[in-house]
Amino acid sequence: MRPDFPLPDTDWEPTREYWAAAARGELAVPRCDSCGAYAWYPRETCEACGQSSFTWTMMSGRGRLFAWTIVHHAFLPQFSDAVPYVPGLVALDEDPAVRIVTRIVDCEPERLTFDLPVRVVFRPLSFPGIDRTVTAPFFTPDAQ
Amino acid sequence: MTVSTAGRDWGVASACENVSGEVAVVGVGESDHSRASGRTSGEIAAQAVERALEDAGLAPSDIDGIMYAPFAGDQFDEAAFHRHFGTSHDMWVSKRGGGMVWAATAAHEAALAIRDGRARHVLNTFAVAWATRRSEMVGGPGESHAQELFKQSLEVPFGWFPQPVYFATIAKRHMYEFGTTQEQLGAVAVACRRHANLTPGAVMHGRALTLDAYMHSPVIVDPFRKEDCCLISDGGAAYIMSASDRAQDLRQPVVEVAGIGLGNSATGVHWAEQRAFTSTPQVFAAPGAFAMAGVEPADVDVLTLYDPFTIHAIMQIEDMGFCVKGEGGDFVEGGALDHDGGVLPYNTHGGLLSHAYVLGIAHVVEVVRQLRGEAAAQVPDARVGVYGGYTGPQASTLVLRRV
Repeated sequence: MRPDFPLPDTDWEPTREYWAAAARGELAVPRCDSCGAYAWYPRETCEACGQSSFTWTMMSGRGRLFAWTIVHHAFLPQFSDAVPYVPGLVALDEDPAVRIVTRIVDCEPERLTFDLPVRVVFRPLSFPGIDRTVTAPFFTPDAQ
Repeated sequence: MTVSTAGRDWGVASACENVSGEVAVVGVGESDHSRASGRTSGEIAAQAVERALEDAGLAPSDIDGIMYAPFAGDQFDEAAFHRHFGTSHDMWVSKRGGGMVWAATAAHEAALAIRDGRARHVLNTFAVAWATRRSEMVGGPGESHAQELFKQSLEVPFGWFPQPVYFATIAKRHMYEFGTTQEQLGAVAVACRRHANLTPGAVMHGRALTLDAYMHSPVIVDPFRKEDCCLISDGGAAYIMSASDRAQDLRQPVVEVAGIGLGNSATGVHWAEQRAFTSTPQVFAAPGAFAMAGVEPADVDVLTLYDPFTIHAIMQIEDMGFCVKGEGGDFVEGGALDHDGGVLPYNTHGGLLSHAYVLGIAHVVEVVRQLRGEAAAQVPDARVGVYGGYTGPQASTLVLRRV
């Protein structure tokens, strides 16, 4: 395993643009150049039209809280300081079939509800014992 | 609210040749099941295979086909078989065996091999030593998931890992969509434990669980308690398949393979990609298996399901047609899963939750024992038994029948 696990490998080609966009404070998803369908997770051919050319496209960063859980037990030692934390799936407004795995921040877990409007916020992702940090898309309830 | 499971356009059934009645399970065996044993998975598998041979009344040299899974470490392949038994004969070999979905679909592949004369007696085996190896594995049995690069990049950094975390998320969504309750999840855990308490070889034998104790157990990943999660144990199992007409001449009552189905999600392999987030591909696996066997869900006397978490029982019971989608929670309450009087006796050995974590292959062994009438928590006069396998994007159904 990489020494900086569980940080993402930001150089891994299929998701390199995702992390590069996050570093700029943008949420980007591949979009088919032929039919305009979003492709998530990134894939080699478009499930809608079969073509294989995509452009990473900036998203609004708004969506709905599709599902979440509250993790009380650290299954990996690197998350010992993080528990309890709230990982979740956000269905993006542009296409709810695109679900972003993220963490919900700046909200008491008890206040979360299904399909709650949320928006992206970018924060450094860091783990104990790992020097490097990575800017990552987290989500928070959308006040608007 | 949008129910995420509407429609049937999110997956497909694999084509399966009709092999109904062609082959029978003629021998079954399990290793000792335990917490960390210090043994390798190969040593554990060898013990299960020895016991399956003894059960069938076959010699090692009779086994001319072997099926195993090409993952999960040190599996009992043809070289290990020959080393262990001192044999050297030719064997038909398939790496599409083992546990999970393959504990069911192996019977389809074996039937075709036996039909074509490539083998006469086919062994399927699977074993793990994950309790022994746990400390060296990233996230325990999550290790293979941690190695998957999309998960490493898009899921693990946010702590959506390992399996208890994503299946808790699915369970929570199922509760929202259908009104499933924690008490209903608990009913599954309690039924499995009750059966394990009756099964001497079960890891949780002798450790009772009441619904009240379940509800007072701390939540580790909402809504799951540790009792919602499978064991981590060392163990293995094996079963031997032969042509049904040969089975008549062997030692055990004939339990034939009556139907097999394999279902596949068409929306990716990761859980976040599953359009039907709160369903399993049993939607596509079970109908074909039941049709091949000529049975309806109501004909099933005993059901075993691959059950890494309690929610998998509820989802698969719904998706296989034992009740309407969304009513699985109501269905499992009130002793419905009990071996003695339940409407659908379920995981009568205790399942992955309370028997042993051997990824489904011991579930097939249990169904065979039920249909022979020799199970520890025996269902009276069980004639039709089903195993449901699951991997996420795939699910399988195996229907067995006492002839």
